[in-house]
Formats: sequence, C-alpha cells, structure tokens
Amino acid sequence: MKSWIAVLLPDDEYKEKKMLQFLSEGAILLFLSLLATLIFSRFTSLDTETVLFLHAALFVVYVLGRYIVSGIEFTSIATEQEYRKELKSIVIKSAGFTLMFNLVYPLISGWPAGAGEWFSILGLSSLAGLMMFFINYISLKRSYGKNKELA
Amino acid sequence: MKNRVKITRMDLAITQEQLAKSVGATRQTIGLIEKGEYNPSLHLCMAIARELGKTLDELFWEVE
Repeated sequence: MKSWIAVLLPDDEYKEKKMLQFLSEGAILLFLSLLATLIFSRFTSLDTETVLFLHAALFVVYVLGRYIVSGIEFTSIATEQEYRKELKSIVIKSAGFTLMFNLVYPLISGWPAGAGEWFSILGLSSLAGLMMFFINYISLKRSYGKNKELA
Repeated sequence: MKNRVKITRMDLAITQEQLAKSVGATRQTIGLIEKGEYNPSLHLCMAIARELGKTLDELFWEVE
C-alpha cells in the first residue's frame, strides 16, 4: 500500500485489512461524535480540554477494544502448550512493566515526599500493570480460541 | 471461497506455519484461507500456488 498509514499497519494482509477496518470505524465514530458535540455546544458551554480528551479516548478505546476482541494479535498460538507459554510471558512482561514503572516514575517526577506519595505511585503502577495484563490476557484468549478452530 | 489449499498442503507434508512463513503471511491467515473464511488477494493466491507447485485453477477454481 502506497500511503503513510502503511507504517502503522502489519505486513500480513488479513491483519492489515482488519486494522484498516477498525481504524476507519473509529474515525467515523469520532467524526459523528465531534459533529454531535458541535451541535450540543450551541446550547451549553463545554470544557474544551475535557471534550478533546473524551474524543481522543473514544477513538483509542474503540480501536484497541476491537483489536483485542478480534483475536488477531497472537496469530501463532494454537495449542495448549503454546497458550500456557505465552500466558507466562504476559505475566512476566506485566510484572516487569510494574517494576520498571516504580523505578522510573520517581526519577522523572521527583522523589516522593512521604509514605502517602509512595502508596499512590504503587497504586498507579499496579493499576497500569493489571490493565496491561488483562488487555494481553483477553487478546491471547481470543486469539487462542480463534486459532484452535483453524489448526 | 472453497479451495484445495489444505489438502494440497497436507499432501506435501507442509505445516501451516511453514507455508505462512514462505508466503509472508501468518499461520492464522493460512488457516482462515483453508477454511474459506478469508478471500486472499491475487498476490497472496499466486504466492501460495507457487509455494505448493500448483496453478491458481488447481487450488482456487471451483468445479461443480
């Protein structure tokens, strides 16, 4: 495909087609949502920052959600053994991410003043790590289910 | 789309993974093509036919 969007797309043609589908659906939803907000803004005042954030979130959550549920991420996981191995790898990656977050965050945003700040960093990193785990876990489960049927 | 990719691949004792690698696709895509759940592009059809030593007719043409 001769377009700059090719940089964002996978090499496999089925995956590429699916990604293009999710991105276009997300773009149309975003456009409709912006249109509705434009009309709505004539009757009430809206906080620009919140509105922009919500629209960005709508696009990201929709495209990411469709990608995860479609089961196209782990294309080679088709046996119980491969599934267990990949699950182990996801657990290790998520734990590693949580640990790195705890190490890097104080260096960037300044050393925490007290126990309260430490707890909030721990809470944030655990939440991010858990989210990362669940996103990958659902994607793996869906991919495994799909691939099992095709083997 | 019905096709003879799976039967030809199995006759040649090639795995889905091996075929996928040689045609630049994923194992999932090969599985979907074999099951008739995805219609590949002409480019991919030709790569598969070349890899399996068959013509497009032999692999993808439906005969009543």
